Amino acid sequence: MEYDGGERRGRKQWGRLFRYCVMHPALTVSIFLLTGLIFWGGVNWGMDMTNSEDFCISCHEMEQNVYQEYKQTIHYSNRTGVRATCPDCHVPKEWGYMVKRKIEASNELFHKIMGSVDTPEKFEAKRLVLANYVWQTMKENDSHECRNCHSFNSMELNMQKKTSQKAHERAVVEKRTCIDCHMGIAHKLAKNYDSNGDIHKMFKKEKRNCGDCHKGMQQGDGW
Amino acid sequence: MFKKFKNYLQSYCSLSARCPIGVFFSVFTLGILFWGAFNTSMEVTNTETFCISCHEMEHNVYKEYKKTVHYENRTGVRATCPDCHVPKEWWHKVVRKVSATNELFHKIMGSVDTPEKFEAKRLELAEHVWDTMKETDSRECRNCHAFNSMSLAAQQKTSQTAHKRALEEKRTCIDCHMGIAHKIAKNFDSNGEMHKMFKKEKRNCGDCHKGMQLGEGW
Repeated sequence: MEYDGGERRGRKQWGRLFRYCVMHPALTVSIFLLTGLIFWGGVNWGMDMTNSEDFCISCHEMEQNVYQEYKQTIHYSNRTGVRATCPDCHVPKEWGYMVKRKIEASNELFHKIMGSVDTPEKFEAKRLVLANYVWQTMKENDSHECRNCHSFNSMELNMQKKTSQKAHERAVVEKRTCIDCHMGIAHKLAKNYDSNGDIHKMFKKEKRNCGDCHKGMQQGDGW
Repeated sequence: MFKKFKNYLQSYCSLSARCPIGVFFSVFTLGILFWGAFNTSMEVTNTETFCISCHEMEHNVYKEYKKTVHYENRTGVRATCPDCHVPKEWWHKVVRKVSATNELFHKIMGSVDTPEKFEAKRLELAEHVWDTMKETDSRECRNCHAFNSMSLAAQQKTSQTAHKRALEEKRTCIDCHMGIAHKIAKNFDSNGEMHKMFKKEKRNCGDCHKGMQLGEGW
């Protein structure tokens, strides 16, 4: 009985609110618009906030491992001073894809709470698995985030080293994607990387120099 | 006029009294449509295709830009027209779009519709761009290029010295980097101030004039 009364009282209140809205249409519409604006602004603001390098390295897992490695690379510091930050490579620019990536990132939050990679040792143990996720995604979307900045149309092969020219010509012909070759360019490669030797076999077939990937190594040193 | 507006307001009020939800939704949809159309037109007019849809741009500055490092380079990272000429921040962008109405006016007037007319106006137009860039501390350059991300050791000796000096003397990019994406006007630096500045800094003529030796041109 008491419950029914409560429900009836509730309905009455909703009705009163409804009638108030009808009596003050201009006010109601403005409130609606304002709420919409604040909600929309909030979503975009949140997206922007979580899309900054500062946010990425606010987790020590990122700051002490991958960020330190990236700081030694050409994507951080180079001749022209054009830098690519974490989100440039790891978050899509298009709105829909960006939202999807943000939702997927809840898994990263979960592992942050679980402390899955909270020491350098744990991170090292997981490095190949994590890297493989990124490579897999990049293979699936034809290295979309690389191509947000780098495109074959704007690339002058004559300005590149002979090896790069050949490799890029081959990549265009064989419709390869950036990440097929450019792994580990911004972060260290895992020690157990290419343990089945597929990558080495591919590069051997293409007669690539060992030195292309292993600094200073001569042909025949490592095979 | 006023009466009509009053009538409109009255019918709006009575409509929202009869069908409040319908009115809410139509206002909401109108808001989204208006906002969407505004942003879409901002994006459409912010593409290279739109810029070179005017032959004034396509036949002059675009052709020149296509020969430069900002169009084609080793890494395949390109800067398009709006990257250098339209601010990225929302508010500054809107201001630039509004001031572009002056460009539309001159398009209609045909102020630079032949290569000769364009050449005659080149210095004046370039100076507008340079002045803006000096005022904003070359903001559009710095959207991509930052001293923080610049490894001086990877640069030529001349550039290293010039950039160190720029940092100390708080110079801005456009103070030196004029005419890097488009031809420089024939009557550029007619009063010789730039040449005096560079001479004082003992810059090589070849830095700006390809292949020219020191002493040839002063």
